[in-house]
Formats: sequence, C-alpha cells, structure tokens
Amino acid sequence: MSRSGPATHRDAWFLLLPALIPVLVLSVGPLLYGAALAFTDAQSGVRHSTTFTGLDNFRALRLDSLFWQSFRIGLVWAVCVTVLQLLLSLGLALLLNRNLRFRWLARTLALVPWAMPEVVIGIMWRLVYNPDAGVLNNALRDLRLTDGTTDWLSSMSLALPAVIVVGVWAGMPQTTVVLLAGLQNVPAELHEAAGLDGAGPWRGFTTVTWPALRPVALSVMALNFIWNFNSFGLVYVLTGGGPGGKTQLPMLFAYAEAFRYGQFGYAAAMGLAMVAVVAVLLAVFLRNRLTREDG
Amino acid sequence: MTGRRMPASARGARRRRGWGRAAQYAALLCYLAFLAFPLLWLVSTAFKSPRELGSVDPSWLPHHPTLDNFRKAFAEQPLLHAALNSVAVAGAAALVSVAIAVPAAYATVRFRTAVGRAGTVWVLVSQAFPLVLIIIPLFMVLKVMHLIDSRPGLGLVYVVWTLPFALWMLQGYVRAVPVSLEEAAAIDGCGRYRTLRSVVVPLLLPGLVATLMFSFVTAWNEFFFALVLLKSPEKQTMSVILTHFLGAEGAADLGPLAAASVLATLPSLLFFALLQRHLVQGMLSGAVKG
Amino acid sequence: MRRRTVLAGVLGSTTVAVSGCGSPSRSGPPSLDFLSLAWQEESVKVNKALVEQWNAQQSQIKVRYVQGSWDDVHDQLLTSFEGGAASDIIHDEGNDLTDFGFGGYLADLTTLIPASLRRRIPERTWDTARLGGAVYGVPFLQEPRVLIANRRLLEEAGVTVTDSADAWTWTEFEDVCRRLSHRAGGAARRYGTAWPMKSPVSVTLNLALTNGGRVLYKDPGGGPSQVRFGNADSAFAELVRRQVVQDGTAPAGALALGGGDVLPGFFAGRYAILPLDFSYRQQIQQQAPEGFDWVVLPLPVGESAPDGGRAQGVSPQTLSVSAACKHRREAMAFIDFMTSTPHMVRLAQGDWMPPTDAVALSDPALSTAKLGWSTGVALAGHLAASPALGVRGYAEWSDKIATPALQQFYSGAIGLDSLRRTLVRDGNRVLARYRS
Repeated sequence: MSRSGPATHRDAWFLLLPALIPVLVLSVGPLLYGAALAFTDAQSGVRHSTTFTGLDNFRALRLDSLFWQSFRIGLVWAVCVTVLQLLLSLGLALLLNRNLRFRWLARTLALVPWAMPEVVIGIMWRLVYNPDAGVLNNALRDLRLTDGTTDWLSSMSLALPAVIVVGVWAGMPQTTVVLLAGLQNVPAELHEAAGLDGAGPWRGFTTVTWPALRPVALSVMALNFIWNFNSFGLVYVLTGGGPGGKTQLPMLFAYAEAFRYGQFGYAAAMGLAMVAVVAVLLAVFLRNRLTREDG
Repeated sequence: MTGRRMPASARGARRRRGWGRAAQYAALLCYLAFLAFPLLWLVSTAFKSPRELGSVDPSWLPHHPTLDNFRKAFAEQPLLHAALNSVAVAGAAALVSVAIAVPAAYATVRFRTAVGRAGTVWVLVSQAFPLVLIIIPLFMVLKVMHLIDSRPGLGLVYVVWTLPFALWMLQGYVRAVPVSLEEAAAIDGCGRYRTLRSVVVPLLLPGLVATLMFSFVTAWNEFFFALVLLKSPEKQTMSVILTHFLGAEGAADLGPLAAASVLATLPSLLFFALLQRHLVQGMLSGAVKG
Repeated sequence: MRRRTVLAGVLGSTTVAVSGCGSPSRSGPPSLDFLSLAWQEESVKVNKALVEQWNAQQSQIKVRYVQGSWDDVHDQLLTSFEGGAASDIIHDEGNDLTDFGFGGYLADLTTLIPASLRRRIPERTWDTARLGGAVYGVPFLQEPRVLIANRRLLEEAGVTVTDSADAWTWTEFEDVCRRLSHRAGGAARRYGTAWPMKSPVSVTLNLALTNGGRVLYKDPGGGPSQVRFGNADSAFAELVRRQVVQDGTAPAGALALGGGDVLPGFFAGRYAILPLDFSYRQQIQQQAPEGFDWVVLPLPVGESAPDGGRAQGVSPQTLSVSAACKHRREAMAFIDFMTSTPHMVRLAQGDWMPPTDAVALSDPALSTAKLGWSTGVALAGHLAASPALGVRGYAEWSDKIATPALQQFYSGAIGLDSLRRTLVRDGNRVLARYRS
C-alpha cells in the first residue's frame, strides 16, 4: 500500500494540500516572520525603522538574569503541573473506567474545567483564594485545620504552589480523556488473566495497565508540557507574576516584552530560546515517536 | 500469565471488593468535588444579589435567589448574539479542521514523505512558539486577504490553530485502521480516494467525533485572536464579551459576569454530556498512540 | 452635498485603504468607531445613550459604539495599531497614552481642540495628557484616592470623623489605625486599615506626591527619566511597611488584592478604614449589608509638603483620536460633544468619578454630600499628573524592577536600603534604554 511511486506521491500531495495551504499561509508564514524578528531590533511604533542586528538580542538575552530566573520558575511550574496532571488524571481515568453508577454524569462533570473560559477560571479561583471571604479559608476554618487567615496568593512561599494547583485543575480534563481512551485500549483479557493470577491491584497496574498505557501517557505528557510551559493567561489573572516575581513565568515575560514594552525583536529572541529548550527536552522525551515517523 | 490461584476464601475477597467499591466511590467523589465545585460556585454566584456577594462568609446556596444578574448581563451586552457567533465560528472551524485533518493524517501515516515528517515537527514547533509573536504578522496577512473583522477570517485562524492537535490525534486513529482492509478494497477495484471515503472514514467515525469536540471547545474558549481580529460589536464572540464585565486592576462586575459565564459554560457541558459516550468509544480505536 | 458624493466615491473604490479608519457603510456617510471602556451598568448606559444622541443630531458622520475592556485594551490597541485597523476614537487612560503617543499611533490634538473645550478643562489637568508638547488625549474623568471608613468602628474607638476641610496627617492616620486595631486570634482580629496593592507601583508613586516626593523624575532636556528615592519619595512606602510589618495595623494578605477583594472584610468589620479609589463607592453602596454605615474621608496629607500635602497623582481617563483616522476634525467634534459640561456630569455620575471640567464639578448632582461626592470633588483641585505619566520605559521599570521590589519591601522580605538600591540602580539602568 505505501510503496512509493510517482502516482502515490501525487496522491499524498493531494491529500495534504487542503491542510497545507492554510497552514503555510497562516501558521508557517507568521511563525517564520516572528522568528526572523529575533535577529532585528523591531519595536512598536511607526517612527521606528527596523534594522538587522544579527545575534545582538541573543547576546543581551544571555546576560538577562531576570529572564533566566523566570525560566527556572517556568520549568518548575511546567514540570510540577505536567507531572501532577498526569498522576491525578491517571487516578481519575482508572476510576472512570470502572463500571460505576452515574458514570456518564461523572464523566461529564470531570470535564467542567475544560468547559469554562480561561478568564472566568482566573476570576473564580481568585475568589476561592481570597483571604477574607474565600471558600478555601472558610472551609479550612470550619474544619478547624487552620485559623482561616492564610494568604494564598500574596505569600512568597505559597503563591507558586497555589497557582500550580489551578494549573493542574485547568488541564486535567484533556489528560483524563486521553488516558481514559488509552485504558479502554488495554485488552480486557489481560486484566482477567492478571486477576486470576491473583495479582493485587498495584501489580495488575504495573504489569498490565501501565505498559499498555505508556505510549499514550508519554505522548499526552509531551503536549501538556509544551502547553504548560507556554501558558500564562491563568497566572496573569491570578498573581500577575507576583509576589516579588515568584510566579513570573517566562511566557509572561515574553508577552510583556512584546506587548507592554513593544520590544518585538527581543521578545522574539526569548521565544526562540524557549522553543530551543522545549525542543531539546521533547527530542529526548519523544525520540520513539519521531524515529518511528522517520522509519 | 500462568493461572496460579490465590488461596483465599471467596467471602473475604467479596468483602474486600465491597470495601474497594466504597473507596472507589469516595475517591471519585473527591475528584468531582475538586473539579466541579467552581462551576457550582459560579452558578450560585450568578443568582446572588450584590449584597450577598459582599459577604465575608459566602454561602453555597443564595439566600435570596435573584435573576437580576441575568437581566443586567443581557441588557448590557449582546449575549445571545455573541453565543450564536461563537457557535457559528467554532462549529464551522471544528468541522473544517477535521475535514482537512483527516486526509492529511491519512497521508502522513500511510505515505512516508518529507512533507509528512515536516508536518509532525511543525505540530510540535507551532505549539511551542509564543503566540504573542505570531499575532501581529498573522494580523497583517489577514488584512491583505481582507479577513480582518470578519467571522470567516476568525474561523480560518481557528482551523489552522486547532489543526495541530486534530492531526496529532487523528494520526493515532488512522494508525489503528488495519492496512489489510484497505488492501482488500484496493483489490476490489476501489481507487485511493474511494478507499479513504468508504473504508477508512467510517472506521474513524468515533475518533472524528472526539477530535471535533476538542477543536470545538478550543475554538469556543479562545479569546486572544477573537479580541484582536474582530471589532464590530455584532461580530464579537462569547469569550470576548465576558471581559466587558471587567474593570481596571482586576475589578469585576461579579454578578452579571457570573451570569454570563454560566451561559458561556453550559453549551460546552451539554455538548460533553451528549458526546461523552462517543468520546470514549472513539478513543477506543487507537487514540494518540505514541 | 458635493463633498459627500465625492467622499462616497472615494470610499467605494478604495475600501482597503479606508478600512483603517471610518469603516464605510454600504450607503450614506462614513462612520467613526468609538472604542469605549465603560464597564459598569450605569456608565455603559450613559455612553451608549450619548452616542445615540449624537447620531440622531448628526447626519454627516455617524459614530458606532464599540465595546472594549480595561482588562485587555492595551493588547487590542497595540495589535490593531500595528496592523492599521484601530478604532478612530479611543477611550483609554493617561498612562497608556505614553507609549502609543511616542509610537506615533495617536493624533496630536493640539490644533484640533476647540477653544471652548480647552477653557473648560484647567491647565493643570491638560498637563496630565501632554507629552513632549503634544496632547494625545482629552482628559475627562479623574479619580482621587480617598479613605472609606466604617463609621460605627470609628465612633466606638472614639475617633472623630473629619470633614474635607481638615484631613488627617499621615501620622494621625497611623495613630487612628493603631487605636482601631485589636489583636484577637484568627478571623476575629481587626486591622485599622488594609492596603490593597494589586498594582503597588502606581499607588506608591501617586501617593508619594502627598509627601512631596515623586520617585520618577522626568528629564526636562528629553533624556531618560531618573529614579530617585530620597526621604520624601520613600516616606509613603515606609508608612505602609510600618503598618504591615511593625504595627500590625494592616494585614499582609491584602497586599496582593485588588480594591474590590477587600470589601467583604471591610463589611465584616475586619478592616476599619480602606484607602480606595473614589469610584469604589459604587460597589460599596451596592454590596454593603443593610444598615452598614460608611463615610468618605479625604486622604491623609503629608506634613510640610507642597500644596499642604493634599496633592496626589492621577492618571486621568482620556479620549484620543487614532493617527490613522481620516476624519480627525469630525472625531474631535464628537469628543467635544462627549465632554460638554452636561455630558461630562452624566459620564461622571455613571463612573462615580469627578469630571475634569471645573463647571461640571460644581453641578448640584456632584457637589452633594450624598455618598461622599463632595469629599472627592473637593480633592479634585489637588490632583496632579501621576509621576508615571510620560515616562518612557515606565511599564518595563514597573514590571521588572519596582513591582517585585515593592512587594518584597511591603511584606517585610527586604529593607529600605535594599529597596532603594534596587529601585534606583537597577531601575535607572532600565530607564536609560529609553529616550523621550
């Protein structure tokens, strides 16, 4: 079927064309243009004429300690959110895969975070974390766990964990759905065999479920990592990068550089640096999928 | 996997299973409480009077439920119109995105061409490059094409924007379709396109539904493109309209905002409730296999 | 008549070129887009009503009401300016005009402003919208910061409520806050005040003026602005830190909050006095529980400072015209219409803020003692341009240097010397990259 000949190649082109044209015009084009800005001093404003500056932006970026500091925060954020998302979603997917009552309702409710627009998510969680009238502090006080006056978003040590929880919450539905699908792929006979085998749930999971699920899990983790590393909308609404820069994600940084200070060239250099790092991490992580694609 | 029986009494096993069941329900309840409580809170906020919203000890159920917030929200902003715009733009974008992703996914899986490989790399890079840097060049391209302040223009952007993930998912589904089926069709004299249409697509159907859903929800919630690409009030979409209830420095007209947000959230949820069966069945056939 | 037909012909043939401004309607005269940021029910209503009234009176140029949002107006404008498709008449605030004005996206209104409009607004207020000799926006609303107090708590503590004639000094304010605070455990604890500092930099700069400080100093020669942090500049910041860290009269938890977020605690008696922007009265009036007795007091004054310590910085709300607009004169006529004295009164009522027009200020609807209007109106004469206005590189200095440093300072993580070093040394390095 997939033997290549002139005819099949033409077929492939025909099949690809409808996707290729809009992608080239509206994605690859703007993307290359954006990347090219990294080698110029492009700025906002009609009075400024852009000139080619070679690697100047990258040289400046190398010494930009604030950016690299935020880069570290970004890595902590992306890794924590991605890993927690995977673990929690895996648990949920295992539960939703059981034959429980009201499964349809549970499956729908599990998708709630996904159905809410981002700006609403940010505002709702600000209300949750409000130190005076927040649901969280009120609940903790009623349960007598704390005195109900914790400053979630303004405390130097709690702010990052607090926004990570929101990040995990917001991204769980997507991960859960993909893992749930992966679970349904695990042949039921294998489970039965393991059950008859007398293997406990944990051993059943490690010997049967996980090996079958691993490719799906790695694949969704990779995409989650990219998305999390690139997301900043939620954190922008919640803390705006504060307190004291503790939640200053690199994308928030690049966004401000481009849209608040109008330094398009420098922001593009930041973007490329981020793409490079993400690409290296992913190449390691996804070498299997990529090599198979090459084969 | 040899059958080695566990020497334990059946009754003990059953009791343990009963406990296990209870634990599972309890765990599920915790999950749902965590995931769904902001929605409950949103709905309850939407029915509260301003006075209740200022309370330091807010209750889960409004003491004096009011429809005032909905009345205000509808009076201030063209919500219904915006919802229709969102449905139209997101729906069309999702359909087109999937329609062009299917042949592309098929081609990249079945033919090993340089374009196919480049496609996979592009999927990842396009997700990794900061959106803020693409928006201005994209704006200029669309302007040349006379697609600024136009719903089809926004839809087109959504098509391109949801395409990577659609392609990534559909590749998994296509891989799961046995090549032997296609070969049989080819022997029966079906051409390449007819094989695709009458053999592959029906097998992909559940996967298509899942992909459609992803694309629709992504486009429905999208905010930034909609903000900068549409100007005319009668064209704006739901996610942009919601920000019209916000003031400077995080101030918000909370009641009407919550009311409008409930209206922006419910369609997606209904959609999920209807499609969740397909969603999972769809994934059954291959999903995003690594 | 002839002019209109010619215009229509030109529009018909070059739709693209004109799409930058005045979207041509299929028939009849071109229309101007007015991007409004009104967001509260009343103010949206007033803005829409005024646009309708204009369109009913005018047949030459129609205005279309386009709704924007404070939350994202900067991003939206920057993108549409760069792409050449911005609205014609733009509602924004002084601070945001700096970069757009210098970037050449906004029309200089100096020669367009009718003499009557120029006279309506005091010269001091025009200064808030002037950048390097050009005027990029007509300032029409401005908002002082006031104290909003829980009258019952004040009276219980034996604090007499002052009227606008004699505001407290900052020292008196600190004393009052000490008397109002009491240290019970947990949620029962009460604070004299709370400082909601979601954007700590603008508050710190604007209120530094009460002590005669500025923090940011513009270079008259057009060079980069300078950061200085002498005693007058830092006095206000030190006061906030003293209240949070030393006296315990203000909670650390409020520092990350916006003004609206501290209101529930205010209603519950957890905070006795809130320093808030004047327009928060609207939310308080809406949300306060039955029988909650609140009073608006003038902001405390600095001692031995110019203007009796009453000066405070503001960034006014403005109406601007896009540089790409092809009908600047007509756009200016619309702005003139919107800011006519009676209309400014209505806009001011809708937004709960004092207008800039001196005559409008004395309108009976605004000079009433009801809801604290008179207190804010009396402060209007002491409002000066925020030190941040017209400073190139302010956004970057604020985001990268000042915001994190002030947040650390207020919460007690760093001391005054360390704050000064960061603000001045690192700050000047950032500002040096910009020339006005």
